[in-house]
Amino acid sequence: MLKINNLKAKIDNKLILNGLNLNIKSGEIHAIMGPNGSGKSTLANVLSGKKGYKISGSVLYEDKDLFKLDIEERAQKGLFLAFQYPLEIPGVNTSNFLKTSLNAIRKSNGKKQLDALEFLKVVKSKAAALKIDEKILNRQLNVGFSGGEKKKNEILQMSLHEPKMAILDETDSGLDIDALKIVADGVNTLRDKKRSFLIITHYQRLLDYIKPDFVHVLMKGKIAKTGCSELANELEKVGYENI
Amino acid sequence: MIDNLKSTFENFNKNITTKNTISKIRQDNFDKFLSSGFPNKKLEDWKFSDFKKIISQNFKNLKINLKDKKKFSFDNHIKEFTHNKIFFLNGFYNKHSFKYEDDKKIIFSNLKNGPAYEPKGNNSLNLLNNAFFTDGLLLYVKKGYKCKKPLVVYNIFEGNNKNNFFNQKLIVNIEENSELNILVYTINLNSNPIFLNTSNFFLLEKNSLLKLFYLNELSKKDLNYNFTETKILENANFENFILSYSSSFFKNEINCDLKEKYSSGFINGAIFAKKNQHHEIKTKVNHFGETTKSYQKIKSIVDKNSKTIFQGKIYVDQKAQKTNGYQLSKAILLDKESEFDSKPELEIYADDVKCSHGSTSGNLDENSIFYLMSRGLSEKQAKNILIKGFLSDAVETITNMEIRDYFLKKIEKNVNEYK
Ligand SMILES: Nc1ncnc2c1ncn2[C@@H]1O[C@H](COP(=O)(O)OP(=O)(O)OP(=O)(O)O)[C@@H](O)[C@H]1O
Ligand SMILES: [Mg+2]
Repeated sequence: MLKINNLKAKIDNKLILNGLNLNIKSGEIHAIMGPNGSGKSTLANVLSGKKGYKISGSVLYEDKDLFKLDIEERAQKGLFLAFQYPLEIPGVNTSNFLKTSLNAIRKSNGKKQLDALEFLKVVKSKAAALKIDEKILNRQLNVGFSGGEKKKNEILQMSLHEPKMAILDETDSGLDIDALKIVADGVNTLRDKKRSFLIITHYQRLLDYIKPDFVHVLMKGKIAKTGCSELANELEKVGYENI
Repeated sequence: MIDNLKSTFENFNKNITTKNTISKIRQDNFDKFLSSGFPNKKLEDWKFSDFKKIISQNFKNLKINLKDKKKFSFDNHIKEFTHNKIFFLNGFYNKHSFKYEDDKKIIFSNLKNGPAYEPKGNNSLNLLNNAFFTDGLLLYVKKGYKCKKPLVVYNIFEGNNKNNFFNQKLIVNIEENSELNILVYTINLNSNPIFLNTSNFFLLEKNSLLKLFYLNELSKKDLNYNFTETKILENANFENFILSYSSSFFKNEINCDLKEKYSSGFINGAIFAKKNQHHEIKTKVNHFGETTKSYQKIKSIVDKNSKTIFQGKIYVDQKAQKTNGYQLSKAILLDKESEFDSKPELEIYADDVKCSHGSTSGNLDENSIFYLMSRGLSEKQAKNILIKGFLSDAVETITNMEIRDYFLKKIEKNVNEYK
């Protein structure tokens, strides 16, 4: 699904990713942990196509050069990033935006556009399945949302898009236990042989609900250690310094 | 241009005016206009908009329409909401329909023969309007009457004649405990550019409510100076919204006098200046009464060599204790050639007041664009969504839902069609 080879990324001449290698196969869930500032969000941003980085190395997404695709093409081809800090977009109705976004993705995949009623049915059933309060749909996109509501909104969008490769950037941070289950449910419902996940997290507790196939430790822009799900437990006990 | 204007005026005053008193008023105003000329940037109120320069760049001569034409073909009626209608055609009253209202409660006449006419406003374009006005609307909403539907004043220019200079007035008196919503909808169907100089006066008596909306569908070379003066008495409420995206030049100047206690004034607007456009909103809110309240939110998007300006002053008289005044102007510049100027001012002589003002300008937020694109939208779509969202935030202040939705639709269309 995703093959990252010797990826380096600089911003303002500061090297943030420094030769990162990672191979995510279809159906796998990979967790990335790592200290603050180690480059986890940078990795997520670079994969999603954010501008402003000087990049070298290669990334193959479904065996094609990811860097040849624009931000929206990556999304249309099934790459989804749940933001660590979802942006507040004043004046934009959440439901309208979710519809525009879903239809943009459907259109590029040759699927029929959903009209307002069809969309409403889909989004309401997804929200209900995830136990997300549908009231957020009538509010301005993320404006004044609590931290948890923002994260739930990201998960709702993920479940609408049904991506092939989803990256969750600390979606679990700051969540209460019920919200944490919503995030885990979002992932577990989508989880199948054809979909892959890259889950960035600081905490073992999310991984109690979503059992990853691999856990990586990212330090100073590189994968410093890779293990199975027990590695997360170990990190929780000994911290990063002893890696 | 001025020399020509002199002979135009003589001819105009001879032909159009039936009463001597009015003829004299016109003459006095014209003489005063001549001594000052078109406003230029040396005047504080015009420092960002050198009108003298603007008009001379756009027009060689001003020609005024003397005849009112009866027939016209116009079918751009607003279909989104039911409403009462008054039509003005090429500067003259044409027809009206108040079919949703009790006709004893709405007293209406046109101003062609100048009943109850008295000159108002004293800047040189007001003087010019006093000298040259062809027609206008004089409207009373009688005591205790709440109009059921909004009134749309269709101000239409069509027929492709050579006349390019139009002066009109709206004079409206909302009596005690009465209510009215007005949309002034100005449309130029001509290919010749026009200079439209409008002056409007509103008196809001005790406990009354006026919601006033301005929308222009003018063409790229048109100029409009739109002057509004309001006097607001006890516990009356004035709400104004300006949607400003058409015409080369559009300056809205609004003076709002909160004369008595508990009166309030809301002046909000959205400007989308796209290509070589020059749009200004200038407000002056005077808090004269105690416990009065004002609120202003102006948002503008500026692109491709356009310029938008917000000059806003809040004055609080020493008697106006417990006053609340709020003002915010925000602009987004889409390119390096566009410009936003703002001059917020507070002048406060009372001590127990809450007043605040703020003004910001910047670019579209790159992170927001990234966020939206990461959800499958193209860059253009993402930017359009941000532009619409930014302007909608001002439109959301409109408390008449039909007009709010109508304006949102206009913005949607305007932004989507913009390349
Ligand atoms: N636009 C930028 N300009 C300069 N430095 C940046 C920029 N973006 C990120 N950095 C730096 O790059 C480093 C990695 O940041 P990144 O956000 O990827 O860390 P992270 O691993 O996600 O941290 P956290 O766990 O706190 O979310 C940090 O030192 C950060 O300050
Ligand atoms: Mg991060």
